[in-house]
Amino acid sequence: MIAQVVLSLLLVGVAIYAGNERRRSPAVAVLSIIVAVAGLYFTWVPDHATHVALWAGVGRGVDLVLYIWVCITLIVLLNLHLKLRTQMELITILARAIALADVRSRPTEKPESQRMSDLAAARHMTDEPHQ
Amino acid sequence: MEFFPARIWVVIAAYNEAAVIHRVISDVVRCGYRIVAIDDGSADQTAAAACAADCVIRHPINLGQGAALQTGMDYALAQGADAIVTFDADGQHRAADIESLIRALENARADFALGSRFLRGPTGLPLSRRWLLKTATLFTQLTTGLHLSDTHNGLRAMTRRGASTIRLRQNRMAHASEILSQIAASGLSYVEVPVSIEYSAYSLAKGQRLSDALIILLDLFARRLYR
Repeated sequence: MIAQVVLSLLLVGVAIYAGNERRRSPAVAVLSIIVAVAGLYFTWVPDHATHVALWAGVGRGVDLVLYIWVCITLIVLLNLHLKLRTQMELITILARAIALADVRSRPTEKPESQRMSDLAAARHMTDEPHQ
Repeated sequence: MEFFPARIWVVIAAYNEAAVIHRVISDVVRCGYRIVAIDDGSADQTAAAACAADCVIRHPINLGQGAALQTGMDYALAQGADAIVTFDADGQHRAADIESLIRALENARADFALGSRFLRGPTGLPLSRRWLLKTATLFTQLTTGLHLSDTHNGLRAMTRRGASTIRLRQNRMAHASEILSQIAASGLSYVEVPVSIEYSAYSLAKGQRLSDALIILLDLFARRLYR
């Protein structure tokens, strides 16, 4: 009974967490909620868990609940990965803004004389045989 | 619409390319185009070697080729570019092909001109790499509906209108597929143009492998899971 209550509290926590994540990653949220609800059901109706476990070839209902918990862990890991990707996108925007601001702060337009000398240097270089 | 070289910006994203970037940029400079080189957080002297470019932008950290191209495109658009060309930094593209892409934009009145190495006959590409690219092409046709012969060619040109519709969020190699899917979503016209790729030991070493292809697939899949 104690184990059932503890597991149920954890699964309810997972479902609430998934609900909060639904705006950012709906697919992961839906998946998490489905698995959490299935886990809750099998926690309180273990006979059905055993039936489903036998049907799925798992063996025991308790093993099925354990596998569901593993699934939840993997889904949460996936969600963390997606969060990291979101963070990386924010970092990219920030790094790009810094890079472009750095360019704006220094003169970028080359004077024509400089441009011509670069062109001459390029011509000189490409006239030389490449190694 | 006619495009003038001074209003065409070539975007070159470079990461640890100090060995070849100077020659690559020199070749493009000779054609008279404007160049923005993006040093994507290189550990070597790439930024210094790219000094012949009109502008060198330095990412403070390494973000990936997709992120670097987007930075370059943002800069070029801010400079009033009429057309933007993406060009690889490893020396595998020929500067002379830029002209073909620009002419294709003008003649076909397209918004995107995409380079294809397979439209010029035998490529000299190793068999394994050829099969990898063919598989990628098939995947792109299935996912975007675009009928292309070469989906992972870094040489492409776009009009200002076309470039404005591109917003790359795939920082790394999956950006090539993302560009195509955004072209398809934009509904703008595109044309394929035969270009040459010069394979060297250097460029082949920097090219994609099968493991990269799997990472690209995972990246594209993961991108669909969140907003």
